[in-house]
Amino acid sequence: MITEPLARELDELASLLRLSTVEVHTHGTGAGSGIIWNDKGLIVTNAHVARTERATVVLSDGRAFDGVVSAHDPRRDLATIAIQPAGIALPAATIGHPTDLRTGDVVLALGHPLGIAGALAFGVVHAIETRRGAPRWIRADIRLAPGNSGGPLADARGRVVGVNTLIAGGLGVAVPTTTVLRFLADVEARRAKSGNRAA
Amino acid sequence: MAGPSTSGGVLESLSNDLAGAVERAGQSVVAINARRRIPASGVHWRPGIIVAAHHTIQREEEITVSLADGSTVAATLAGRDPTTDLAVLKADQAKVPVASFADGSGVRVGALVLALGRPGSAVTASLGVISTVGGEWRTWHGGNIDRFVRLDISIYDGFSGGPLVDASGRVLGLNTSGLSRGAALAIPVATVNRVVDQLVKSGRVARGYLGLGMQAVRLPTALAERLSLPNDIGLMVVSAEPGGPGDRAGILIGDVLVAVGDTAVADPGELLGFLGGDQIGKTVTTRIIRAGESTNVTITIGERPQRSQESRRRR
Repeated sequence: MITEPLARELDELASLLRLSTVEVHTHGTGAGSGIIWNDKGLIVTNAHVARTERATVVLSDGRAFDGVVSAHDPRRDLATIAIQPAGIALPAATIGHPTDLRTGDVVLALGHPLGIAGALAFGVVHAIETRRGAPRWIRADIRLAPGNSGGPLADARGRVVGVNTLIAGGLGVAVPTTTVLRFLADVEARRAKSGNRAA
Repeated sequence: MAGPSTSGGVLESLSNDLAGAVERAGQSVVAINARRRIPASGVHWRPGIIVAAHHTIQREEEITVSLADGSTVAATLAGRDPTTDLAVLKADQAKVPVASFADGSGVRVGALVLALGRPGSAVTASLGVISTVGGEWRTWHGGNIDRFVRLDISIYDGFSGGPLVDASGRVLGLNTSGLSRGAALAIPVATVNRVVDQLVKSGRVARGYLGLGMQAVRLPTALAERLSLPNDIGLMVVSAEPGGPGDRAGILIGDVLVAVGDTAVADPGELLGFLGGDQIGKTVTTRIIRAGESTNVTITIGERPQRSQESRRRR
């Protein structure tokens, strides 16, 4: 029987992903999701989830942190939130390689669809839209809902390959983590530049 | 026993199997440029022969086909069969592999399946299961399909005309949302083969034709008893094609058809099923009720004219 080990693995991967997935609350509107990018308190989410200057970040164990929206890129629909974990090493996500994804590969999504905390979704890669050879969007045959935004899309080994961003024509559409890395590098470069100018 | 597995696990094997199936089967999935907005999917079924869903082929001329190897070649429409929602194109220059087929035993409820498409340059996939497998059935337009195969799978652009494949990438059927009010169905390989044979040979699937529009009506019990009819339902003629087989035989609007040969008819679908291609040119005696009396009318079955292209918009 393959179903028993399959169920066990899905359970393990869901637990793993749940640790590194946070809830992002801003004033008024419902919660989105976010990904713990490193153990120092960097959270990656969608720009449309973190529209305000501050946001509350809730970990899977219920601990809540006040965060500052430290970068915001509406064009890529990405944002970062910085939280101060005060000496605790946060359970950061393992980042995968979207360039290795193939159509038909199994993908998992974790998030808070319609306010349901820590929900797992199972699907496959429907198509990978590329631009100049690099993945631009990952389209997945997977059931997502509002609240999944900003949460992880992971491969069969639980490595995060995308940030779930929108639902189009019934498909989940994720920004690949390669784009997230470029976004973070741009933020870093801008910061260094403005730092130099100030010095 | 595997330990806490985040590598080399069952899920990863499944992922590799599915992606491998898409890669193999995707070689024979083509994009057909024969409608506005987005290309339709098709399958390289036999060398130079491409099968598609009839309702997605909206243009009959200047058709091109984009292949998995990146090339685009010219194609001509060999014929279409609206009754089974199938169309066949010829593309002699198609050099990509033809589909490999599973035997029918893979078509069973619960089987894990992929629906592939190519609504553009890249192959697309959705995952689901076969939800119903039934016996032979007849479509609304009178086409015979060997097995009723309903899918629990999401329908996206390019679904119709794409192949239904198993986890090894072997083709189980051709997908369409055009046969059952938008539900995801697969046309079995055997049915597609039969229609392809006919369309390649003669460009059409010939069907018998009476040229009569009919509707089931309940007859008064007293009348049914007086005329000793087999049942109290008949088919009332509501339209007659001028010069058609029924019209030439003298059938009038308002006549109620109760039997064809020795067989009672109470459902237009039954009659459509009877009017197979093998009936063309044959003579049948029909029993009709006209003005409260029973009469026999002899009709020579004609051939159904080819319907013009319908521009239904389905994916």
